[in-house]
Order: sequence, then structure tokens, then C-alpha cells
Amino acid sequence: MEYFAPKSIAEALSLLERYGGEAKVIAGGTDVMVDIKYKEEPGCLINIKAIGGLAGIKENNGGVRIGPLTTIRDLETSALIRDKLPVLWEAAHQFASLQIRNTATIGGNICRASPSGETLTPLLVLEASGNIAFSDKETAEPFINFFSGPGKTTLGAKGLLTAIDVPYPAAESRGVYLKHAVRGAMDIAMVGVAVLITPDAAKKAVRDVRIGLGAVAPTPIRAAKAEASLRGKPLTPALLKQAAELAASEASPIDDQRSSAEYRRWIVEALTRRGLAQSWKAATGKEAV
Amino acid sequence: MSFTINATINDKKVSASTEASTSLLEFLRDTLEMKGTKLCCNTGECGACTIIFNGKPINSCVTLAADADGATITTIEGLADGANLHAVQQAFIDTGAVQCGYCTPGYIMSVAALLDRTAKPTAEDIEEAVSGNICRCTGYAKIVDAIHLAADRLSGRA
Repeated sequence: MEYFAPKSIAEALSLLERYGGEAKVIAGGTDVMVDIKYKEEPGCLINIKAIGGLAGIKENNGGVRIGPLTTIRDLETSALIRDKLPVLWEAAHQFASLQIRNTATIGGNICRASPSGETLTPLLVLEASGNIAFSDKETAEPFINFFSGPGKTTLGAKGLLTAIDVPYPAAESRGVYLKHAVRGAMDIAMVGVAVLITPDAAKKAVRDVRIGLGAVAPTPIRAAKAEASLRGKPLTPALLKQAAELAASEASPIDDQRSSAEYRRWIVEALTRRGLAQSWKAATGKEAV
Repeated sequence: MSFTINATINDKKVSASTEASTSLLEFLRDTLEMKGTKLCCNTGECGACTIIFNGKPINSCVTLAADADGATITTIEGLADGANLHAVQQAFIDTGAVQCGYCTPGYIMSVAALLDRTAKPTAEDIEEAVSGNICRCTGYAKIVDAIHLAADRLSGRA
């Protein structure tokens, strides 16, 4: 296995251009090391940790710019993230174990593109985007278009995620990230649901709502039909129940060792209902009636 | 492809050659012959390989040895001061928090890092600090007792 530790983005991109599909990018290593030990060694390992300027959390144009090498623990201990992006903070807080959070990076969690990736549904409901660099171009890609399958993204074999831009949600919005797993720590989510809801000025009707579902489709998804069923309407218990059922119908889960597809649908429904009710109460001070 | 790692391990400068695919755990155990840090799941799930890396507890099994270049590392071998055990080691012995002992070095490193961060950990702090460590023998109660005892001794309350 060849090994490179580029010092700049340009150097990393030219290595990716040269080695393409043979190359594997490594950051924290908490997933890639397991592949190396239990699956197979890539032809070439590109360690991007020596590239300067790729870690850190900064306010930027009405949002936060997060460097891809920022560790999950750095997100969890950031007052800015906790205060302004609590849905993302919640996912960071529930992420694996302290040892893993100290090493794993948000960029790695995103580029790994696991349907259950803890930070992904929060990033979808926050409508975050990635700055994607190739050797000949650079684009801003909303994460809703970024994931194409388990482990697959629009980065392909030659792209590099160089920044994560998360716009601040509306000040009146509230949200939650709910994870269903057997063990609190370390367990991969059977289902993860992120909800962000914004009431109208009278706190009567839903002005905007976003629902992200994790681990129940080939990629993390937004439950678009469930969202549409709620927009502009007062949040009644009947509407809430219907939206949760719609979200479950939008999921396409698989049977695996963690749970059956049927069970996952039930959990999507329960967590969506719970997430909407909790977020609505946090945003309006009232139960859905 | 091999290259040289220069690191500070347990207050000593270490320089040794490693391969690109070598984990930090393999580097410690097989290259440096420091067998105190344990190999167990090798996937970052059980915590037996926990070391303190630049001040933070990490799983050495899922860290590249290459990343240790320039790092400051403490392993279980570096905690005792000569014949005097570290307060966490002594507390594990005194409360009977060790049974088969395989998870113990990892636990002790997680707890030593916790008590470096917080002199008076809450029950929640303790749970967070060791939630990435698995023990199949003790049922955890004695380990939690040991953590409280170590915290009390280190802060002069016991």
C-alpha cells in the first residue's frame, strides 16, 4: 500500500487525480482503519490530516462553516454549535463513544455516506452544503444532492470535501435529533430522525418543517411528503399522526442484524411523531391541539 | 512502505519505523513491545486499547501509527510513578474492580483522562467517560465505585 500525507488541498487533489479509485482518503480513521484490518487495504492511502486549515468552527455569512477535519468532540464541546445548531449538537453528543468522538471527524462521517451516519440527517434538515473540490473545479453542493447510495457520494473517486456550510435556521425554529439504538453508546442507529419546525408568527400553524430520516433508505433522506402535509396548517394530533405515517411510508428500510424493515418503519413513525411534538412544544410552548 | 515515527511516549522520546497500514495499537504492542495496551475488538468498539493521545482518550486500534508522529502519548505503562501506583490503579485494586483484567488498562486510561479533565466528576461524567469501554466480568458497579474512590483520593476527600 502506498501512503501519502499531502500538506495542501491542491496536493491531495493531484494525488486523487493520479490514483483515483485505488486511493482511499483517511482522516480520523475510525472507519477506514476497520476496513484496512478486516476488508482490504486500498492501493494507496491519502492521509489528509496534515493539510492546514481544514479543522475549525467559524461563524460565516449567517451560518457556521465547519472544517471537515473538525472532530465530533470539537462539535460537541463548541458553545456555538450547542447554541445555534442544537440539532447537530445532539447528534454529536450521541455519537459513538468519547474515544471515537475524540478521533472521528465530521468530514469522515459525511464522506463515509453511511445511511445511519449520525450527523447526516441533522445536516439535511439544516439544509447544509459541502464545498467540493476537484483538481479542475470547486462547487458548493447541498447535502441533499450529495449522497447517492451507501458509501457513495458525488465526490466519486477524485473529489475532496473541503468545508461544510450550515446556515442558521430561523430564530423561532426548534428541532430535535432522536436516535433509536439498543445500547446508548457505540451502537449504530436502527433509526435516526431529525426534525426542525418553525411556527408562524401567531404560533398557531406550521410555517416550515423539515424531517430527516436516517438508516431507513440507501441514503439519509428528507420525508418530503410528510413535510408537505404539515406546511401552512395548525398542528393537530390527527395531522401529526398522519405526517408520522407518511414519513414511515417514505422510508425504504432493509432487514438486517440490527432490526427488521417492518420494525424500522414503526420506529420511524414513533420517532417522527415524538420529534414533531417535542419540537412544536419547544417552539410554541404548547402541545399540538 | 515504511517510515519513521518520532513520538513522546510516557515522557520518553521514541523513534521507530512502521508501515503505512500499521495501527497505533500494533505499533505500541508489536514494534515497541509495550503489551499493556490490549488488543480486543480491533474495531474501536470495546475500549480495551484506550490510550491518552495529546491529552485525550482515544482507541489506538483505529488510529494510524503514522498519526503518532510528533504526538505525546500516555499508556498504562506510564501511569505509575516508580513503585507508586497511580490513584486510579490503586482504587481499582482496593474496590475489587478487576476480575479477568483484560479491559482494565483501557478503563484506567479512560478514567485517568476523566480525572485530568474534572476533579469532581458527576455520575453523568463517569458514564460518559467509560461508555466506550466494555467489561464482561464485573457488572460495572465496582468500576464505578473505583472511579469515585480515585476522584475522592485525588482531590483529597478520601
